[in-house]
Amino acid sequence: MENKIRVLRAEKGMTQEELADKAGVTRQTIIAIEKGKYVPSLELAFKICKVFNKKIEEVFQWS
Amino acid sequence: MSYKTFKWVRIFMAMFIAATVSIAVSIENAYLALAAVIVGMISMLLIKRNVKEVLVDEMVKNIAGKSALMAYSITVPVLALLSLVFMFSNLKERGSDMYNLGIILSYIALAQMFVYSFFYYYYQRKYGRDGE
Repeated sequence: MENKIRVLRAEKGMTQEELADKAGVTRQTIIAIEKGKYVPSLELAFKICKVFNKKIEEVFQWS
Repeated sequence: MSYKTFKWVRIFMAMFIAATVSIAVSIENAYLALAAVIVGMISMLLIKRNVKEVLVDEMVKNIAGKSALMAYSITVPVLALLSLVFMFSNLKERGSDMYNLGIILSYIALAQMFVYSFFYYYYQRKYGRDGE
């Protein structure tokens, strides 16, 4: 699973901590997702997409 | 309270409990050790409530679940094996300390299996894996 969280975050000038707060998770989880080490649940994936106001396929791609 | 402050408080609390329990052991006072552990647990619960940041999320729970399963998969067979070794190597001396240790270990293994089965059944029902 690949994702564009780092790019989208950079576009919005958002820190990992801010995204973590908005998604209701720890910063470590955001770091792990960005690195592709952890695949988030569907619920968390939707929460992250909501923060960026994007569709799920625009943020996460199945490779 | 921020997570960083909480981490420092947690370290301080662990040091406090360790020091108090050490003193309690050296002066042979079980009540002091028990009191230190209870005070520490209650304090940590109260402090945790004041932390505004997220401490436990789905990744932490995921890791905890995998660690728990791994710990269970290792401890139960090891305890069962040790209990058999202790019991069968002391069959002629039933009632000896080593034989009794074997029995205690087997009961601990059984208790772990019971707790695991109970929660496995509980979560299976909760998530409807049995088709309900």
